[in-house]
Amino acid sequence: MAETPMWEQVGTSFVQLYYQRFDTSRVELSALYTDASCLSWEGQQFQGKTAIMEKLMSLPFQKIQHSITSQDHQPTPDNCILSMVVGQLKVDNDPVMGFHQLFILKNISDNWVCTNDIFRLALYNFA
Amino acid sequence: MGDKPIWEQIGSSFVQHYYQLFDTDRTHLGSIYIDASCLTWEGQQCQGKAAIVEKLSSLPFQKIQHSITSQDHQPTPDSCILSMVVGQLKADDDQVLGFHQTFLLKSFQGAWVCTNEVFRLALHNV
Repeated sequence: MAETPMWEQVGTSFVQLYYQRFDTSRVELSALYTDASCLSWEGQQFQGKTAIMEKLMSLPFQKIQHSITSQDHQPTPDNCILSMVVGQLKVDNDPVMGFHQLFILKNISDNWVCTNDIFRLALYNFA
Repeated sequence: MGDKPIWEQIGSSFVQHYYQLFDTDRTHLGSIYIDASCLTWEGQQCQGKAAIVEKLSSLPFQKIQHSITSQDHQPTPDSCILSMVVGQLKADDDQVLGFHQTFLLKSFQGAWVCTNEVFRLALHNV
């Protein structure tokens, strides 16, 4: 029985930590970003930890809960980790919605930080 | 009115090219991958250009059409380009399904190739 590859272990731990913090104490997400990080949130771009945290802290809901349907992790050629998450979320009393999120993780001074983060709700132009 | 950043131009061109090839003749997708590329297709891992093209060519449908709802592109610290696509697809006579796909593009010998790709249908444990 093979061991789980390192990138899967790191990716899975990061994803679990990210959503746990997001759902209980978003302010603690700050440790996961650096000044070089970029976030695209529903098409809006934010550069650097400060701008990213300002966006995440200003999101207009009281309660949120994420539920992960699937997560995939891959090593990149430059020793980073790519993690893609598909899931559902519930905000306040709104209906459950699907979401997609993508992270690139980089090892900086022995810590895995998020250098790239892209979030989209699973809303489509219905044909 | 500023020019689009280079990563958006490259990412958008790549995405357009990818789906055009995919929808018309997926056996031609080989040129966008290299031997170091990895694909995760609905949780199944494929490593290297040959295995990836084999997987994509053997997908069990005759016709497919993708429709892109949104695409996001970002530069990565290592000078790669990260692209995320959300859209819908229709295979043969099946119902329209949502999908989510990610590409990591790297400049390799003068061309932008895809080193990492992840595809998932937007199906949830309801």
